[in-house]
Amino acid sequence: MKPLPAKTPLRIPSLLACAAILLAPALAYVDDAMSFAYEAANPYAEKGWIIREDAWGGDLGQGEKKAVTAQLFRGNSYTFFLATDVETASLRVNIYDAEGNLAESKSWQRGPFAYAEIKPRATGTYYLVVEVISSPEERTGWALVYGFHR
Amino acid sequence: MLYLSPSPSEICLTLRTTFRLLLIFGACAHGLFASEPPAKKIDLSQFPAQTVESVVVPVPSEVFAVLDQMGNPNWRAELGPKKSFGATTDRAQDALLLGTVIADGFIAVEAEDSERVKEIGRNVLTLAEAINVRKSVVARSNSIVEKADAREWDAVRREFDGALQDVNQAMAELNDDQLAQLVSLGGWLRGTEALTSIVEDKYTSERAELLHQPLLVDYFLKQLDVMSPRLRRNELVGKIRGSLGRIDPLVSKASGEDIKPAAVTEIHGITSAMVKLIRPTAD
Repeated sequence: MKPLPAKTPLRIPSLLACAAILLAPALAYVDDAMSFAYEAANPYAEKGWIIREDAWGGDLGQGEKKAVTAQLFRGNSYTFFLATDVETASLRVNIYDAEGNLAESKSWQRGPFAYAEIKPRATGTYYLVVEVISSPEERTGWALVYGFHR
Repeated sequence: MLYLSPSPSEICLTLRTTFRLLLIFGACAHGLFASEPPAKKIDLSQFPAQTVESVVVPVPSEVFAVLDQMGNPNWRAELGPKKSFGATTDRAQDALLLGTVIADGFIAVEAEDSERVKEIGRNVLTLAEAINVRKSVVARSNSIVEKADAREWDAVRREFDGALQDVNQAMAELNDDQLAQLVSLGGWLRGTEALTSIVEDKYTSERAELLHQPLLVDYFLKQLDVMSPRLRRNELVGKIRGSLGRIDPLVSKASGEDIKPAAVTEIHGITSAMVKLIRPTAD
């Protein structure tokens, strides 16, 4: 798993076009997942959240979890958007602090989309636990994007 | 009258987009629900090591967004005298140098110094040329100049964030990922030098908490350790590796513990020395 290239945070259509071109050769399985994740983030961008140009992604089997580590700063608010291109799959993302305590202020999951939000109580390391709850596919591609505001 | 009917692929695209939008709006409209509530606590050691392999490295704007809420530091003093940096004969040094100059851009934005921002935007272009990624940052550089003229500071910040990401991406495409890491590291070092100076100037435990970044220090150390033998043999890279190892224990406080003023001063001393090594012509 590694950060995926993307372009232009707040201009989502151009971002999708760039992302599609950039990801096509090697990462086609997360290409759509990333565009889904950016689409989910779009309304937040319109509300003034700064959506990062990078995305993180990979694939998981059903019931599998993966933790992505993040440096978050107290004083900012963060939103994380998780998506897959497998339309009948079900995913979720939750945020835990460095001691393993659930730290998010809000989260939801609906089918191929999931969301979590946090206003960190302390600056430091957090874990974004990504999970494929169910999926008809053996491996389910996923992508995670995030935004922040002060 | 000519009538163009949509092709099957266009219909598919439309249906697919509609489906996506329905899912997104459905999720938003129906609000919060989950199949079962998430665990209140997890044992992070249960995650096999290979699952915790990716790190979300923050963009500089995330740190500066917090600093905005902490009074009005003397950013002009942090910016130092006017200076443009030319390319060297060492690509590793050029990559580190580029990172420090991008960090200078953020400091100039904080100081709201549009002339310096524009100079830095042009300097980014010169250094990007030295590591073969000029093309990827031309648009950013122009945009930085344009937005600095208009004094649109948030937009300038986003362009500097974008420049850093564009450089990283272009270098990855050139299979120069390791040099891209050096760009990020250079930016982090210069940013931390300025940040520690600001914290030292008016110490509060809240300001010092911004330095609690063990994940990033550990990440950079790991990146340096897996670099090619050629880069690891590079004298500058070797010195930075050694110094970064000294910062690691200083930023790794236990939960609830403050980073003390003495530690802030020490981190500042180490990062200043490293920045001087990267750009010895600065003085």
